[in-house]
Amino acid sequence: MKDNTSNIWIGGKDLTNDPEFIEISQKEFAEPTNLIEDLGNEEVAASMGGNRRDFLKFLGFGLGAATVAAGCDIPVKRAIPYVVKPDSIVPGVATYYSSTYVSGGESLPILVKTREGRPIKIEGNVYSSITHGGTSARAQASVLNLYDTSRFTTPKMKTSGEWSASNWADVDKAVSAALASAKGVRVVTNTVLSPTAKAAMAEFSGKFGGSLVTYDPVSSAAILDANEQSFGDRVVPDYRFDKADVIVSFGADFLGTWISPVEYAAQWAKGRKIKDIKNPSMSRHIQVECGMSMTGSNADNRIMVRPSEMGAAIAYLANKIIGGVTPPALNKDAKDALDKIAVELKAAKGKSLIVSGSNNVSEQILVNAINNSLGNLGTTVNFGHASLQRQGSEKELTQLVSDINSGSVDVVIFNQCNPAYDFAGAEALKTALAKVKTKISFAASNDETTEMCDIVAPTNHLLESWGDVEAKRGQFSIIQPTISNLFDTRQYEQSLLTWAGSSNLDAKADQPYFDYLKANWKKTVFAGQSKFASFQSFWDSVLQDGVYEGSGSGSTPSFSGNVASAAAGISKPSSSEVEVAFYESIAQGNGQFANNPWLQEMPDPVTRTSWGNYLAVPVNFDGVRTFVGYNELVDGDLVDITIGGKTLRVPVIQQFGQMEGTVSLALGYGRQFGIKGDSVGVNVNDVLTVGKDGNVNYYNIDATITNKVGKEDYFSCVQYHHTMGVKAAEKDTGDIINADEAATVFFDYFTGVKGFQGSLTDRSIIYNSTIKDLKKNVEILGGKRAHAQHLNAQQIYNGFDDMYETGHHWGMNVDLNSCTGCGACTVACMSENNVPVVGKREVSRHHEMTWLRIDRYYYGDAKNPNVVYQPMMCQHCDNAPCENVCPVNATNHSTEGLNQMTYNRCIGTRYCANNCPFKVRRFNWLDYTTADLFPANQPSLAGEEVPYGADNLTRMVLNPDVTVRARGVIEKCSFCVQRLQSGKLTAKVEGRRLRDNDVSSACMTACPTGAITFGDLNNKKGELVKKNTSPLSYLVLEEVNVRPSVTYTMKVNNRDTSFDA
Amino acid sequence: MSAVVSPIREPLVTGAKTYHQITEDLISPTERTPPASWVIGFILSIITFSFGAFCLLWTVWHGIGTWDLNRTIGWGWDITNFVWWIGIGHAGTLISAILLLFRQKWRTGVNRAAEAMTIFAVMCAAIYPGIHMGRMWMAMFIFPYPNTRGPLWPNFNSPLLWDVFAISTYFTVSVLFWYAGLVPDFATIRDRATGFRKKIYNFLSFGWTGSAKHWQRWESLSLILAGIATPLVLSVHTIVSFDFATSVIPGWHTTIFPPYFVAGAIFSGFAMVLTLMLVTRKLLKLEDYITIEHVESMNKVILATGSIVGVAYLTELFISWYSGYVYEQFAFFNRALGPYWWSYFGMMFCNVLSPQFFWSKKLRRNVLFTFFMSIFINIGMWFERFVIIATTLARDYLPSSWSLYSPTWVEIGIFIGTIGLFFVLYLAFTRVAPVVAVAEIKSILKTGGDQYVGPKNAHKMHHAHDDAHAHDTH
Repeated sequence: MKDNTSNIWIGGKDLTNDPEFIEISQKEFAEPTNLIEDLGNEEVAASMGGNRRDFLKFLGFGLGAATVAAGCDIPVKRAIPYVVKPDSIVPGVATYYSSTYVSGGESLPILVKTREGRPIKIEGNVYSSITHGGTSARAQASVLNLYDTSRFTTPKMKTSGEWSASNWADVDKAVSAALASAKGVRVVTNTVLSPTAKAAMAEFSGKFGGSLVTYDPVSSAAILDANEQSFGDRVVPDYRFDKADVIVSFGADFLGTWISPVEYAAQWAKGRKIKDIKNPSMSRHIQVECGMSMTGSNADNRIMVRPSEMGAAIAYLANKIIGGVTPPALNKDAKDALDKIAVELKAAKGKSLIVSGSNNVSEQILVNAINNSLGNLGTTVNFGHASLQRQGSEKELTQLVSDINSGSVDVVIFNQCNPAYDFAGAEALKTALAKVKTKISFAASNDETTEMCDIVAPTNHLLESWGDVEAKRGQFSIIQPTISNLFDTRQYEQSLLTWAGSSNLDAKADQPYFDYLKANWKKTVFAGQSKFASFQSFWDSVLQDGVYEGSGSGSTPSFSGNVASAAAGISKPSSSEVEVAFYESIAQGNGQFANNPWLQEMPDPVTRTSWGNYLAVPVNFDGVRTFVGYNELVDGDLVDITIGGKTLRVPVIQQFGQMEGTVSLALGYGRQFGIKGDSVGVNVNDVLTVGKDGNVNYYNIDATITNKVGKEDYFSCVQYHHTMGVKAAEKDTGDIINADEAATVFFDYFTGVKGFQGSLTDRSIIYNSTIKDLKKNVEILGGKRAHAQHLNAQQIYNGFDDMYETGHHWGMNVDLNSCTGCGACTVACMSENNVPVVGKREVSRHHEMTWLRIDRYYYGDAKNPNVVYQPMMCQHCDNAPCENVCPVNATNHSTEGLNQMTYNRCIGTRYCANNCPFKVRRFNWLDYTTADLFPANQPSLAGEEVPYGADNLTRMVLNPDVTVRARGVIEKCSFCVQRLQSGKLTAKVEGRRLRDNDVSSACMTACPTGAITFGDLNNKKGELVKKNTSPLSYLVLEEVNVRPSVTYTMKVNNRDTSFDA
Repeated sequence: MSAVVSPIREPLVTGAKTYHQITEDLISPTERTPPASWVIGFILSIITFSFGAFCLLWTVWHGIGTWDLNRTIGWGWDITNFVWWIGIGHAGTLISAILLLFRQKWRTGVNRAAEAMTIFAVMCAAIYPGIHMGRMWMAMFIFPYPNTRGPLWPNFNSPLLWDVFAISTYFTVSVLFWYAGLVPDFATIRDRATGFRKKIYNFLSFGWTGSAKHWQRWESLSLILAGIATPLVLSVHTIVSFDFATSVIPGWHTTIFPPYFVAGAIFSGFAMVLTLMLVTRKLLKLEDYITIEHVESMNKVILATGSIVGVAYLTELFISWYSGYVYEQFAFFNRALGPYWWSYFGMMFCNVLSPQFFWSKKLRRNVLFTFFMSIFINIGMWFERFVIIATTLARDYLPSSWSLYSPTWVEIGIFIGTIGLFFVLYLAFTRVAPVVAVAEIKSILKTGGDQYVGPKNAHKMHHAHDDAHAHDTH
């Protein structure tokens, strides 16, 4: 064999040009191996035979372990140094890859931050014209699922009821045998956004004649059906909330969960910004609903209708706008309000938008008719870039059940979907499945459906996968792997193609599906563009940008729905005493995220509860000093709710803005697998009913609620006081008083004290205004600030004001008007800063560790209040009260105005936390990071065997730039100081001054609406200073003179108070 | 009573004692086998102390998370108990030092036990700053010792650091004062003892011979220590109050705190002295040394300091209203009417209303009533600290963070354990040292001139007095 003649060689095999070595060295990805098991195997670790990927895996893992170990005094065990440093990795320097977050029909173009080969953080991709770099809490948390300990590590097969580990050859053999003799084959999936995966599925069904069964965990089938009937196009339109002056939403939670919330929130926020204070204008947003949704909480006016009245409300508005519809009975308040809205809508023709979350086809057709009549087609409702993010229909599942029962299906393949849990007819499906010969699941970890299967062919996590996404027509984004497979898994597309024996798949290739994907893009997307001449340059550009924005298709169709028959098909109002509405949880979806601790721990934006679903019951002011819940229930009481004959025991939360005679309960809880999910909430999918049109109804008119039957063990709500000056009538006089201020009295010593009026509203925490009163309220704010500044100037320690005027002085602005409360920032913060998850019991004791929380206050009318969300993090006070009280100097001020924590010095007196006016400091009460020497003090999240974070797999998600804090020390927001340092370093390396966009905190980059602006207060031309000088901006608790570095911008809404009468 | 007794000066020691009788009465408890009541009390104290020690270890092992403190309320029973014990530890030094300087001779009857109580209370108090730390094994960081980290000093701006100095100084001076007083008495015990006991007391009494020079130096030392201790009495609780007064939390940030805390400390300290002394005098039959006059004098101090505390409470309320500052106003509104109204009510009732009964001389001289009042005041002063610490934190600036707090069994166990520790130490003290300063009480025997009748009539007088005494108290 000819020796390597070049001067550079790696080891003896390279020198001798060993063919095996050359083959391996040319592969980008090595054969999948089981990393975790190998790591435990010393022989493997010691004899790392020249596989670069393995080496990186070990290295990344070793550094991760070292990071964890460095946080406590445990010796480092598994650090493996670079002997030959790979070109693409510089230790300590993050590498970003563009990719796309996908979960069923949800998708967001993202950037994945990797450190030493480990993906550790998700950021938004600013090149996307859909999200503009915004993210959601779910996308932020998705990286944690990569390191989920409950993932399948190998393919599995069930023999006589017992699961056993298998291998791909055996699985392929078994599946091929089953398929060869199968009568009928079905692939059940949630919405598939990938054109290439669809091509693969088409090849599969071409071979076996099986049809695709598509449904969505939370159905939007009625919209698709209605659009097919109205426009001949079975899609969700491309809504433009930014172009609408008047937005009316009939129960669509478009800022929180509906179709594409990140996209809609960004559009919505555009219309909510006050650009000119002298001549202010903003969009009007009216929400029609029964419970307080996150979107409703951001609306200007809410119109309360019972769930069964939704159709009546739509019909009533349709009658007002287009006429000719006879609406069923509707409550008077709603009628009066809709009358006024009809006038507003008519005045904003072509600049309004009606959306509905209803799953009734007729109601959706009426909504289309209203939009058509208002001239919104082509302006706010478009089809060129129509959204493909919902494609499913539960009717297909119902059909599947009857097909199985008729004996015509032998093989069912479940593609990462869980109909045995999230389908309304789950029981019927489960019974039917027993008749299917072979059931195969692609699930990454166990779920209710997979448990019923015979074969598990686990698919890769997104961050290990190749793929593509077409979320909206012509708008593509790419999925690329950021780590080689952690476990012995295989992408489901590859499995399908393998089983189909596809000739387009080169099974011997290094990455077969990657080649298949490229070939498909060359054939389709590349062929349809003219900018790039060669496919390679096109492909490189797509990989780098992560997105490809092509042109949409088609013109705006005309409306051809039948209004008269639609008006007959709407749901009929009921007269039952209590109706229950079911809504999609912002963190949990319909249970898809049950085994993600970050999302379980993230408090619901509206109820502020975590780790479980709570029955939201209406609450009333008793006119004296108590808020009385329905049936005199208080927060944390357990009740039995009987819905359609099935009884569930659920804890209660009093919910402001919940309509009388209705209650609300979130979907997505009570999962049996995941983080011992059965202890996390209750499953309500099996009480869902199916309407006449075959679609699931997300409400039930047949509900009865008992009185209190007990107390929840751990009432995990992070906010006990919910209101900031809600007004209600006093019992004796009928005067409108501040009800929550009256409610601060617990015992009046028989004096009849009416509460301390002004005790909450006079605090300088929240400033809000309606747009009409803006001028007046800006003056009031200015006066208050001037007074506080005058008081603060009366001191003997003058002369320190210019301390931070040179160099950098970091600061932040939070626009309360743009903040929708979605919680993306809180999860981003947990991910960036290694914030520990503490579990239900600890949250119930107010031991949550969130560095950034979103306070939620109700204000205005107690029955139908407005809501303000206030993200609250360390304010980095320049006269910080925490700093002077620490006996050991563990917290102090940097020259750049940062309030810093020195964990090694902290002895945990908690004096700083007591003295913090904003209560943002968090104490490590127990060993939440499982870094302590004693395992006795590691709280479990929900009764799991190994505490969360105690295993090395979960620890791989840790950010190596951020210390893992030990038990007994205080921690808090650092303004992402590690990101500041890296930004400064970038500028230094490039030999220039730091620019504003070199640095950004994790919360700022996560925000879908741009509510958070981070920057340098000394950069007088920067965006931050511009926002701070707005007369709408203020400092929270300015009169305390702690001199925060975070400013907030006044909450302005466009409420029409005539609705309240 | 047959002898003519001068009405000008009431006798400070009743029962027509001779010097020898005093020695017998006061030294003999250290020489006898303890009675069953003592043994039972000691065992109970050991048990409660052991439980406390277990809870303490539990806290160290598992973390502060075994307590029910939370992100809003960072201090609860821990610091409440700390301030409570420190307050109790105020009476001893006040009685010893300030009353010595004011030449209040009645102090000799109670000063020894009060000083012991002070030391033991400060020991109980000192546990809390240590164990309330999240990482108590790093507690040495709070001391300004030379180190290789720069050197890195503690933060001299922090009231918690001032606490460290204030308490350690106070403890040192109190121990010195107490021990200096014990030296002549230990010598007396030594002179009566034999064998190993004699050796121990010989060591403890530092070779005291009772020479005039010894006595002269001893008295000078007592005066000097009194001079040093007097400002400490005022400074310790002043500095403890700075833990709160220098903060920015409404309800804590209050300039009235130093005098208010000092008055409250003396108030609670005297109450605790009374609690202990009323039991001790009964069990050790010291009614002749700790007389009703003592009880009345201390009740007068309680009435005075209780009223000062009451005025302070009302001043706080007035100032919060007068400030026009909504946070301050709400803090006090919330204390009285908020979720913890019962603790505010308990504080007001026990500390302000109940001492007013002591305007009546009859009640001031009623031992049983005084005993119950002293317990009331101890409870009331505990409530005061709880009100200041936990209920203030529970509802501060941002309503979103408002929370509630109640202790876990661990926190309660530690508190019970410190009470156990206190009584273990106090009961041991009553067996190894005279609970009344023998040397000092002898110096005041002749205060009421003709009261001293000499050894001849002593027996007769003793009986006469016993009858009168019995009539007095029962």
